[in-house]
Amino acid sequence: MRGLKSLVLGAWLAVPAAGAAADAAPAVSSEERIKALEERLSRLEGAPAKSMLSQFNPAMGLAVDFAYSHGPNDRSSFLFRAAELSIEAPVDPFLKVWGVFMGNNAQVSVEEAALQTTDLPFNLTVTGGRLFASFGRLAHFHDHELPVTDRPRSLDTFIGGETQADGVEVSVLLPTDLYVNATAGLYNKLGADNTRADNAVARALDNFTYLGRLSSYLDLGDDHSVELGVDSAWTPKRSVDDNTGAGISTRKNTWRTLSGVDLTYRYHPAQGGMYRGAVWGTEVMQNDERRFDPATRLPTDRVRATAGLSYVQLKLGPHWRPGVMVDLSEDLDRARQLTQTYSGFLSYDVSEFQRLRAVYSHRMDNIPGSRGADIVSLQWTGIIGHHVHGFRDR
Amino acid sequence: MRIRTVRLAFLAAVIWAASSFEGYASHQLRVVATVPDLVDMVQRIGGDLVKVDGLARGTEDIHQVVMKPSFVTKLNRADAVVYLGLSIEHGFLPGLLDVARNPRLRQDPATFGCIGSGCIDVSEGVRVMEKPESLSRAQGDIHPQGNPHYNLDPEEGPRIARTIARGLSRIDPDHAADYQKNLKATLAELEPSIAEWKKMTEPLRGLKAVSFHKDVCYLGRFTGIDFVDTVELKPGVAPTPTHLEALVKEMKEHDVKLIVREQQYEPKTCEWLAQKTGARIAVIGTMANALPGTETFAKLCERNLKALLEAVGARGS
Repeated sequence: MRGLKSLVLGAWLAVPAAGAAADAAPAVSSEERIKALEERLSRLEGAPAKSMLSQFNPAMGLAVDFAYSHGPNDRSSFLFRAAELSIEAPVDPFLKVWGVFMGNNAQVSVEEAALQTTDLPFNLTVTGGRLFASFGRLAHFHDHELPVTDRPRSLDTFIGGETQADGVEVSVLLPTDLYVNATAGLYNKLGADNTRADNAVARALDNFTYLGRLSSYLDLGDDHSVELGVDSAWTPKRSVDDNTGAGISTRKNTWRTLSGVDLTYRYHPAQGGMYRGAVWGTEVMQNDERRFDPATRLPTDRVRATAGLSYVQLKLGPHWRPGVMVDLSEDLDRARQLTQTYSGFLSYDVSEFQRLRAVYSHRMDNIPGSRGADIVSLQWTGIIGHHVHGFRDR
Repeated sequence: MRIRTVRLAFLAAVIWAASSFEGYASHQLRVVATVPDLVDMVQRIGGDLVKVDGLARGTEDIHQVVMKPSFVTKLNRADAVVYLGLSIEHGFLPGLLDVARNPRLRQDPATFGCIGSGCIDVSEGVRVMEKPESLSRAQGDIHPQGNPHYNLDPEEGPRIARTIARGLSRIDPDHAADYQKNLKATLAELEPSIAEWKKMTEPLRGLKAVSFHKDVCYLGRFTGIDFVDTVELKPGVAPTPTHLEALVKEMKEHDVKLIVREQQYEPKTCEWLAQKTGARIAVIGTMANALPGTETFAKLCERNLKALLEAVGARGS
């Protein structure tokens, strides 16, 4: 529109004032004028359409994740793991909203439904609603974005699947040359499958879960980088009602602190962009909690259990991505009971939006007499529409 | 003791943060350019008035540039971001702008592009080629607004330079005259070279060729090379054996003498094709810095054109 105005104004000024301009201003050759007009015209003609009505629609995407799994006792099955529908759009210049809805064999659920500010001062961002809390790294990846088919056991047992949480998060990016991001969160509970608390029940302030996370990043030359995150999720108080006594109900209190450290090293050679390189990710978590005996419902001692995972994924080109993962997970009640899972995986990206993956896992624990389990999975994932998990899940 | 430790740690953090603010005192305009070609252009036009940081290194596939957190801090503090646009930077720029928390570089709600006061989209005014008539991923990884690889056409250089000068003048009107002066000097250097390259590439006019990726239409517009097909099955989709067999047949039918491989793609498939068809391979860069000695837009143009001429055994006039 502005270009059109310039064109009209230019023509209006150029024609009647031509004679006068010849005396007053330095002569502009007709060739130069034609060139200038051509340039303006080409800007008008060449400019792509800037907007259309449908652009008010939210961006939508659907990821379909399907697998075949062969597990212990020679049993196999096809698994409709998930159809994940994501929508996202700005509400106004100050807020955006997104939702991720997941359906599988068992249920349809709201994975995420969150509001996020986009224009706060001092590099602040506030996110509220049902969100994936900023604890650890792989824990806030959606299932199909993980390097292996099944969510590592350490994340499942210590966090309760994804870090889904109903609550509020505030994060600040420090205005420094070094990337430092600090996050504070307040939630009903942390973890989609965490059964310690009920999202629907009101609670006292000391029954919420409080999170603090600090993450930083450092370039080690052009080809290498490391990211480090430390975090802690603290639930000061949790009450458990013991109804096992006949007609007597006893309320017992407990608390929990889940702390973690995550380190990600990336090799990204100048040649290759995202196609070549390697990622080494390691996460360690410690759960410090007063536990209750599942059988007697009586309080046990404070239990400190540790879990962690470490994986290496190579990028051998646009298609092939092999890797290995080790996952160690202590039992939350009996910390000396350790489950170890060793996995090898191979992904083949047919295109940017279609992936095939094969995973072999061997799981064993240190309980005398127990036998290890071998699991083979074949996974097929396709994505349509707008589906970008963005910077955080890179 | 514990309180004292916390206080000391807090004090250290404040001192460290304050020391990192030194950049704010500078009077230079902080500009982030997505690709090295634009870093070069902004440096020429901005001169000492700007401090330019680049994102892509030049050797990557532009569609696959890795999003580094260090890019976030650059964008967070930038007065302007200069980008090629037409969604060529879709793999990294929207994701970075989303977390950069810089109101000057606000995201377009619809296209996820940049619409803040500091956004300089140098695709403004480009005569866009290969605008798709319909959009479907069945056509591969196509760009909704048309082919965005216009930086391979040397004749786009002056337009890019003018757009940057206009953008910098808008953001920093006090120095508009300086930017115009630098623009004039840049054009005085670039335009004669373009005329020379045009003459040099006369032998390429009408030559039939294939490229690995569908990113050479603008190069074809400048040189007159007729690009008949691509090694990739569709944009962003690797070639299948069936496609390659059909391509060999097509190349023989059309007497294709030239295979253009963008340096970021693997060489084996092109070598196999060359062996089957007798065509020669020219390796080109799609961004400045892609190949040794191509640090600037002009050097990249010249290096690419010479590679094409050498591959077909012509020296240019």
